[in-house]
Amino acid sequence: MSAVAERVNDRLAMPLPATIAEAIALEMERDETILCLGEDIGRAGGVFGATKGLQERFGKGRVVDTPIAEMGFTGMGVGLAQAGMRPLVEIMFVDFIGVCLEQVYNAAAKIPYMSGGRQRMPMVIKTAGGCIGSAAQHSQCLWGLFAHLPGMKVVAPCNPHDHKGLMAAALRSDDPVVFIEHKALLLRKGRDFRHHPDVPDGAYTVPIGEAAVVRRGSDVTLATLSATVEHALAAAEDLAGEGLSVEVIDLRSVVPLDADTVAESAGRTGRLLVVDEDYLSFGLSAELSLRVIDLLGLSGLRQVARLAVPDVPIPAALSLEKAVVPGAEMIADKLRQMTKGA
Amino acid sequence: MTDAAMARDRFRRMAAMRAFDEACLDALRRKAIHGELHVGLGQEAIGAGMAEALRPEDAVVSTHRNHFHALAKGVDRRALLAEICEREAGLCRGRGGHMHPFDPATNFSATGIVGASIPVALGYAHAFRLRGEAAVAVGVTGDGGSHTGGFHEALVMAGAARLPLVVLVENNALAISVQFEDVSPTETVAERAAAYSALGLHVDGTDVDAVAHTVAQAMDHARGGRGPVIVEAICHRFRGHFEGDPEGYRSKEERQRVRDNFDPLRLYRHRLAAAGVSDDEADAILVAEKAAMKELLADVLDMPMPDPAGAMLYRFVEEARA
Ligand SMILES: Cc1ncc(C[n+]2csc(CCOP(=O)(O)OP(=O)(O)O)c2C)c(N)n1
Repeated sequence: MSAVAERVNDRLAMPLPATIAEAIALEMERDETILCLGEDIGRAGGVFGATKGLQERFGKGRVVDTPIAEMGFTGMGVGLAQAGMRPLVEIMFVDFIGVCLEQVYNAAAKIPYMSGGRQRMPMVIKTAGGCIGSAAQHSQCLWGLFAHLPGMKVVAPCNPHDHKGLMAAALRSDDPVVFIEHKALLLRKGRDFRHHPDVPDGAYTVPIGEAAVVRRGSDVTLATLSATVEHALAAAEDLAGEGLSVEVIDLRSVVPLDADTVAESAGRTGRLLVVDEDYLSFGLSAELSLRVIDLLGLSGLRQVARLAVPDVPIPAALSLEKAVVPGAEMIADKLRQMTKGA
Repeated sequence: MTDAAMARDRFRRMAAMRAFDEACLDALRRKAIHGELHVGLGQEAIGAGMAEALRPEDAVVSTHRNHFHALAKGVDRRALLAEICEREAGLCRGRGGHMHPFDPATNFSATGIVGASIPVALGYAHAFRLRGEAAVAVGVTGDGGSHTGGFHEALVMAGAARLPLVVLVENNALAISVQFEDVSPTETVAERAAAYSALGLHVDGTDVDAVAHTVAQAMDHARGGRGPVIVEAICHRFRGHFEGDPEGYRSKEERQRVRDNFDPLRLYRHRLAAAGVSDDEADAILVAEKAAMKELLADVLDMPMPDPAGAMLYRFVEEARA
């Protein structure tokens, strides 16, 4: 086997969390001011393995196993940043942000502004969101919440390549970045991804704020992010067999939100569907729809629709969960409904 | 009650709790639970020991590892198991699931957010005081939860107002992978009680008699208006943090050592013998409880799942059906 083929095979067998740990390690090597704080990130290497090996390599001072004291160690991250360090703070599941939101939205997010730009806040809040069946307190996405509160960049990648590049970009950013992984993706290996651009071995960044067209199409534009990109691709494949051509856009970040790329596409297809695993109201789907309408004008689109969790906590029962969390089938149905008779 | 009757009762309670969580493991294997599952195997003596000291009017607010506390409080085990198995006939109609059982009828609730149980228990305690009721609120947490802001803030308020709050700390020395001794500023949680003008008690959480005695003492103290109590019960978690936990943080040998040395049911055998309960009788109790749970699980698995058409119900009062 050639060296290149071997490497590609490695990447296909590699769990996504290993790629994330690799990204963090490369940045920690480049920059001694980076350190990581969080529960179970050191000795255990993270509950998903996304910090595996880091403590052995960089020591307990730079990879700190904290007690369950999120308010304490998130505020500690703010202080570390003010003291000239670049903290990565892991909140195991994004749902737990409730106990430390204070330090996130009143401190980290506002200090750059409140200080008139004099105090930078290079802090990454790394956390896992999304639904894998653990009911109302362990299944949320919440990127809309962070996006609503000014001052934070909010990214939610969908494939190993972007996880690596966006993590590097987040760690190099001088602004606070909320990095939201998806639990369902964290359980995957490279080969499980439908959309899997090649992952370079060395360090690289993916710019924060640029959407990617992951499938070309001409009948309808579907914009989404995180694990839903995979569902969207599955739906688009199904519908291709029915003669419907779906363009799928991975937003990659909610702040900044790349409405230009979406508008360019929707202007061509005439139809826009925004799919969001976060709650429907006052969130990403309405925000993006309106920004696209602003760009194209009210007559620039034939149809706009959205699909998201319909403002209900995620239920425990699988039968109910399937009814409220957009999956491939629900997306395909929505697309069929939109384009019926068109 | 005779010694024999009491010992038999305590053993049966532990056996019932063990059988309950074993049924949950079975349900998981049969894919009746699709989310995270945290069982309390190894910690039966705490649930069984506290049960005796709880009155119907008392409240218990528990954690992600809540099954034994729910059973101790008298939550109907059929409804609880049905909830854990996500059924419409479950305690919360399949909406809450294993981490979020709510039973207003018995004043029992739980949360999946670590540390969040204690402030809620504080609320019950204040209500009891305000209404002049002689009830006590019990907030349960693991050792991990004892490091949270919620734990501290609730105890500050309870101590200042001498509220009837018992904080029961199940110290199994592990918060997922994080060892208590690596992150705690104090050797025990109970010794922090002094900072809150609370009574701090320490008990062997594998000894159901000791737990029953100590929790009763704590409840009396709180019920008597003498302020909050921290009861720290030292125990051991037999399984992973959740089912599927690879447990990279402890060796197979360590896990086996814990099971061999700290099984509360096995440790109780000599007390049973001393009280005149034979080994055969104890075995029969285990078999009977297991059989009862097996039957219950079979019933539960026959119950229908919630109808997807009802997914939006129960957010607001006007959506709740009778
Ligand atoms: C605020 C918050 N942070 C983190 C978690 C994730 N988590 C769930 S249980 C747990 C460990 C809890 O340890 P402990 O309190 O000792 O209870 P045990 O699991 O040992 O019963 C953690 C970190 C959570 N649910 N809530």
